[in-house]
Parts: sequence; C-alpha cells; structure tokens
Amino acid sequence: MLQLNNVDVCYGSFKAISDISMSVESGELVVLLGANGAGKSSLFNAISGLIRPSAGQIEFEGQRLSGLKPSGIVSAGVVQCAEGRKLFPQMSVMQNLMMGAYVHRRDKAGNRRHLEEVFELFPILREKSDELASALSGGQQQMVAIGRALMSRPRLLMLDEPSLGLAPLVVRQMFDTIQQINSLGTTVLLAEQNAYAALKIASRAYVMEGGQLVMEGDRETMLNNDEVRKAYIGA
Amino acid sequence: MNILLQNLINGLTLGSIYSLVALGLTLVYGILHIPNFAHGALYMVGAFMTYFFMVDLGAHYWIAMLGSGAVVAALGVLCERLVFHPLRHSPPIHDKIAAIGILLFLEALVQMLWGADFRRMSSPFTGVMNIQGLIIPEQRALIIAGAAVLVVGLQLFLRRTMTGSTILAMAQNREGAFLVGIDANRVAMMTFAISGMLAAFAATLYAPINLVYPAMGHLVIMKAFVIIIIGGMGSIPGAVIGGMIIGFTEALGGFYLSNDYKDVIAFALLVVILSIRPQGLFTKGAH
Ligand SMILES: Nc1ncnc2c1ncn2[C@@H]1O[C@H](COP(=O)(O)OP(=O)(O)OP(=O)(O)O)[C@@H](O)[C@H]1O
Ligand SMILES: [Mg+2]
Repeated sequence: MLQLNNVDVCYGSFKAISDISMSVESGELVVLLGANGAGKSSLFNAISGLIRPSAGQIEFEGQRLSGLKPSGIVSAGVVQCAEGRKLFPQMSVMQNLMMGAYVHRRDKAGNRRHLEEVFELFPILREKSDELASALSGGQQQMVAIGRALMSRPRLLMLDEPSLGLAPLVVRQMFDTIQQINSLGTTVLLAEQNAYAALKIASRAYVMEGGQLVMEGDRETMLNNDEVRKAYIGA
Repeated sequence: MNILLQNLINGLTLGSIYSLVALGLTLVYGILHIPNFAHGALYMVGAFMTYFFMVDLGAHYWIAMLGSGAVVAALGVLCERLVFHPLRHSPPIHDKIAAIGILLFLEALVQMLWGADFRRMSSPFTGVMNIQGLIIPEQRALIIAGAAVLVVGLQLFLRRTMTGSTILAMAQNREGAFLVGIDANRVAMMTFAISGMLAAFAATLYAPINLVYPAMGHLVIMKAFVIIIIGGMGSIPGAVIGGMIIGFTEALGGFYLSNDYKDVIAFALLVVILSIRPQGLFTKGAH
C-alpha cells in the first residue's frame, strides 16, 4: 500500500534521514520505534509532503506521493495525526473535527456519518463539542486530533507519538482505540517510543536509529528480541 | 451633552474606517506574518479607482465602490503572487523591504496617472440627518453602517463557512492546516483579496468627507499599525476594538485637548498600552 524506496531527508546540510526503504501493507498496523531525534517525525512529514525528500521515492497504491502538495496527499488517503496534535486552539471541538473533513467538504452526508463514527469512538467529544479545543485535557485533545484525522477519511493513518505526555491509564485507552481503528479497516502506521505498549497491538515493526532503519520484524520477533528489549522496553 | 454626542459620532466614524483598514492588515499578518506596509497604498488605490469609476466613467457610487473593491482585491492577489509568494522562503526582512517597494511603486504609478493634486470626490449622500438636534451627515451614517455590515459579514464568512474557516485555521496552526489538506496558496490569495477589498471599501466610504491624493494612505496605515499592535498582531477582535479605541480617543482628544495634536494621540496611546500590556490587548497563545 505504502512503499518507500531509498528516501533521504535533509535540513540544510544536516541529513536527518538516510536511505530508508520500508512498506506498509493494506490492513496492517505497523509500528515505527525510535528514540528522540531518530527521525520518525521527519519521515512522517516527508510522507505527508510537509518537507520534500532530497532523494528516493514514496508511493501510495502505485501513485507517486513525492511531488504532490500536502493537500493532494490528504486527498489521496494518507493522513497524519501529528506530534503535538496541531489543533486549531481557538476553534471548538466540533469545528476542529469539521476542518478535518475539509477535502470532503462537498459530501455533507458522508461527513455527518463520519462524525457519528468519531463520536462513537470518543463519546466524550460529543459532550465537549462546543468547547474550545485548547480548553480540553491532554488526552481529550489527542482524541480531537485523531478524530480530526479520521474525518479526512484516511486509508492510511499515520499517528506520531499519540501517547506523548498522557497519563498511563489514558495511554492504555489510547492504544486500545488505535487497535480498534485498525480493526475497523484503517491501515495504521504508528510512531512510538512507548515500545512495549505499541508492539502489543502491532502486526509488524521497524526500528529507527540516527535516521536509519536498523531492524524490522513481526510482533513476536520484536518482543522477544534482546536488543529491542534492552533499548526500548528496559527489561 | 450634544457636543459630546457629536464627538462620539465622529469617533465612531473614524473608528469604523480604522477598523476596516486594520482588519485587512491583521488578516494578512495572521496568515503570512508579513507586516504589509503596502496596505496603505492599496487603500489609496481604492480611493482613486472609485474616483475613476465615478468621476471619469460616470458610474454610480455603489457600482464604483464594487468596481474598486474588485480591482484592489485583484491587486492584492497580484502582490501576493508576484512578490510575497516568491519570497516565502526568504528571511522576513525581505518581505518588509518588498512591501515598502510595492508602496512606493503604487504611489508613483498613481501620481503618474492622476497627478499629485488633492481631489474632491463627493458621494450622492451629501445631506444631513437631524435627530433631535443631533446632526449626523449622511455620509458619516453610511460609514458607520457600512463598516458594521462589513465587519459582521466578515465574521460570518470566517466562522460559518468552510472556505472562510481555512483562513482562521491557517492563522491558528499552519502545519495543522496543511495536514487537513488546506492549500496554502489558496488561503494566501484569498486573504490578500479580502484585505484589499476591505481597504478599497474603507477608502470609498471615507473619501467623500476627506480628499483623494496619492499620499492619503500614509497616516491611515500608520494608525492601522498602531491599532493592530495595540489589539494584538493577527487578532480580529483586536483590530475592530483597537480601531474604535483610536477613533474615539482621536475625536475626543482632538476636540477637548488640541486639534493640532490629534494625530499624535494614537501614538501616545500606543506607548501607554504597550507599557501595560506588551503583548497587545487581545493576543492569545502563539502569536
Ligand atoms: N526543522 C528542522 N530543522 C533542522 N533539524 C531538524 C528539524 N526537525 C528535526 N530536525 C533534526 O532531525 C533529527 C530527527 O528529528 P525528528 O523530529 O524527525 O525525530 P523524532 O524521531 O521524531 O524525535 P522525537 O521522538 O523527539 O519526536 C533530529 O536530529 C532533529 O534535531
Ligand atoms: Mg517526533
């Protein structure tokens, strides 16, 4: 479904990502592990078209994404829920969700249906729908961010560290929800540092270090791999 | 009592014009973080276009206003495409220099075409309304009502329509806007178009009780900058309320203190307000 071939990303003369090749198949939940500064967000932003890769190709269902504008990539079905949430702070929860439907703005009936699905996934958002996004707790803001991404009708949803800064109990619910989204048919690429919780819901995982992929494997292999355990699970 | 009311009406008139000009300035600042020094020139071109349509071509005042709004909106888009868009990756100082360049170019162009003379442009609304001894010239009433309609209309467009909301979204979180598929170019062009149109409408409303000349934008734009700094750069309510504050203090100060110093009052107010609230009155969060 998503295919990256030898992708490089540079910031000026600094190479944040070098020679990454990876793929995500339809229906999978793939986890991308990596410590701070490994290059996870840079990779996501390259896929979303926010930064232009300096080399390599990115393809989604046979269509080249490199060269498309961010809006074209969202329309193609690749949607990112970014690190730090990137909500519209002075808009209500409802307005934030509806902005997610921007590329589908003509399909009002479809948007109502998707909004209903988002509210089923996050019932608390229905109650808070008239409140300003910036007035919500961290966990609720993360729900708005994921809900907004779902309103863009992703076929591939990229989640960048959705558990960052959340209380442990909220993190557990968050991972349950992500698994639920995946089981409802959305392919998920999840960047995380919280390796154990992420691997538990993953089909496969890649590990990034210093801008390069250093390991890949399915859930069992990764959970039982000594290096992964040492570096990311702390056991 | 009557004199005070009269001055309040004058303040409201001035405040209405300032608010419209400041709104255009603050919208562009909110999206592109450019202090558009050329905005005063757009205001001036707006007055000249109305003059051209009305006096030279004989169009009706309203038609001339719409025509001027359309021309200046297009001019705003042109500035964005030809000047600010190519500079989007350059350091901010380049935008500022370019904005001053546009200002000088437009003033020279208008001066070449129409000369430097002061022109009078009278609208069809020359009568006065007498409400129980309170004298309100029709044009002033028109300015107040026109500005109110434009401000409310703009609010509805920004908050109630998906297209308008893209401007707010881009101002509140640029990357977030990209991630929901909002196109930066479309928003930038739309913002410049609205900003130019508001400037042209403001100039068309104000010119009949003032004069039309190539340097007419200078003082207005300086005050508009004072307003958006007072109100908080990028803040929409800040532009409207800041405009009113300046309008009222100028009208009252000009009458009760000294008419010679009325243009200084805005700047004195700026110093006072910034020493109390350095971030401006309405700044929220990131800006
Ligand atoms: N805009 C930028 N300009 C310059 N360097 C950057 C920029 N963004 C990221 N970097 C650098 O690129 C490298 C990868 O950063 P990136 O944010 O992609 O890592 P990450 O894996 O997402 O980290 P984290 O877990 O902290 O989010 C880091 O060394 C970072 O300092
Ligand atoms: Mg990151």
